[in-house]
Amino acid sequence: MNIALRQLTSRKRQTILTISGIGVGVMVLISAVSLMDGLLSSFIDKIVNIAPHVVVSGEKVTSIVSDTIYQAKKGETINLIKNVERQDEEIIKNYKRVENLIKSDPNVSVTSPVVNVTVIAKFGTISQPLEVFGIDPGPQDEIVKFSQNMTEGRFTELERTPDGLMLGTTSAKDFGLRLGDKLQLVSNLGKTFDVRVVGIYSTGINDIDNNAYVNLRVAQNIAGYRPDEVSQIYLRVKDLKRDAQAARTIEKETNYKSKTWEEISSSVIALYKMISMMVYFLVFFVILVAGFGVANVLITNVLEKYRDIAILKSIGYKKKEITVIYLLQGILVALIGAAIGCLLGYVLIFIMGSIQVTPSESNTSMRSDRLQMGKSPWYFVLASLFAFVVSLIASIGPARGAARVNPVEILRGER
Amino acid sequence: MSDVIIRFEHVSRTLVSKSNGSEVDTTILPDLSFEIEKGEFTAITGPSGSGKTTMLYLMGGLDRPTSGKVFLDNLEISSMSEDELSEVRNEKLGFVYQFHFLLPEFSALENVMMPMVARGKYSVSQARKKATELLSDVGLSDKLNSKPNQLSGGQQQRVAIARALANDPVVLLTDEPTGNLDSKNSAMVFDLFKELNEKHKQTIVVVTHDETFAERTQRIIHILDGRIHSDTRLKEH
Repeated sequence: MNIALRQLTSRKRQTILTISGIGVGVMVLISAVSLMDGLLSSFIDKIVNIAPHVVVSGEKVTSIVSDTIYQAKKGETINLIKNVERQDEEIIKNYKRVENLIKSDPNVSVTSPVVNVTVIAKFGTISQPLEVFGIDPGPQDEIVKFSQNMTEGRFTELERTPDGLMLGTTSAKDFGLRLGDKLQLVSNLGKTFDVRVVGIYSTGINDIDNNAYVNLRVAQNIAGYRPDEVSQIYLRVKDLKRDAQAARTIEKETNYKSKTWEEISSSVIALYKMISMMVYFLVFFVILVAGFGVANVLITNVLEKYRDIAILKSIGYKKKEITVIYLLQGILVALIGAAIGCLLGYVLIFIMGSIQVTPSESNTSMRSDRLQMGKSPWYFVLASLFAFVVSLIASIGPARGAARVNPVEILRGER
Repeated sequence: MSDVIIRFEHVSRTLVSKSNGSEVDTTILPDLSFEIEKGEFTAITGPSGSGKTTMLYLMGGLDRPTSGKVFLDNLEISSMSEDELSEVRNEKLGFVYQFHFLLPEFSALENVMMPMVARGKYSVSQARKKATELLSDVGLSDKLNSKPNQLSGGQQQRVAIARALANDPVVLLTDEPTGNLDSKNSAMVFDLFKELNEKHKQTIVVVTHDETFAERTQRIIHILDGRIHSDTRLKEH
């Protein structure tokens, strides 16, 4: 109403301060949510694009020999002696058959056998452990998209060079390797294999850029596998939402443990979620403080306007109407503040999104030269709603206080 | 004319104040009965603390009696709810206080319009028209858009009177309306009341300790320690 507006505009400085308080709160909330959301979703995007959706490993879901044949009933005690199991290496045997079994699921689009082995790589004076993956270059490229991420050499070289080795930028930097360099891989069985660098790639995900890739046959030799044995099968699915379902089906049919990308990266995703939670808490307090600002403006306004409230009452305004006047002031402040905050938030997201940052070298994160900002109208809606609710709650107290003013006390000058 | 506008029936008012943890009862009005008729211009006089202002607040429904009944225009206002009282105040009463109590953010015109639009009885344009008339009646037709702080004390008080008359009140209740004014402005305000009373048969109750003011009304109720000490009807001048 008119009265609410007039009283606000007559106290310009304080009103503007409060409005900007709410505005800043909303802005910080929007940009923080956008930042956290953007980080997480761009991380997931990259994983989904570059990492296998499901990894089938050699680990068995149920042990081959069961521990007990007798099914215990309630109340019975069983003395269980664990059967001795062969300490098998986790190998997928007869992988072609397993691949065909997996491919029978129409949701699976690509499968790629992988032999995973850790070796000591020797180059000049450097000798360091290196995670080497033996791959079938064709199908593997469809999963990790090496050919799009080559920085040196060409991906097709690997297929044509039996002793070829492809490196991620991170491991290439560690060893100081360049295209065409020759190095030795020493297996844990003590055998030495000579390989030659035919390509260097960079995906932006450190987990992948730390690795090296060779042809499947080479890795099988290093690991001492037979030609029909691999350690993992990677696959991509068509419908990402049903990846868990695909993984469970594979486990049932092949008895090999299958993990989806969510399960593999669960710790990283959990970390991101935890950080966002902390950020949200901090921002929550910012808005809370802004809420106190609203309460402050309204309380001082009510205190200053005791006389006016008494007058309004004596000329016939009801309690409810007085409450509405002061609630309206709070709502107005909140609305204008939220609107300004949304505008500032939009600008801030834009600015933050264009800031150049030094890529992080940590193992779990991905590298990017920009902050990835999420963009969704929901941030604005949620932040405004939140600020609005906080201000509304903050204005209820003073508004009701205003309605309780006893005109006689004021008119007699007792206050 | 013998229509009774205000009637007090054995009204008492006791204030309970707490001091040092113990409750102290202060009786302001022990037992008061009187009537005010329609069209009367009544002055309530008495020393400060005698209870005359309390009487006025009881008439206006701003305060409630501890016991007894207060009737306004045949309505028992002493038993009404606060919201009902707000309505009665808006429709039947006009208040003028010692201090003008205008809303500082609003112009003279808007201040006068406020009681009219409060209940939605008038549309904004109707209210504006009527407020303009009322302000020119009190001689302020050139100050319609001035803010209260741009007006002199006398002008502010005249705006307050115009506001009190906005909803054609049954009674105009005024509390020391000249208490803050010089003699020239006091005379102007008094003449205004006199004119209202004579021309429009406006019932007016004035609480004052300005003897010259009181003597020019029609009836003086002198209050001493919460009791009616004398009740004199004066001849028309």
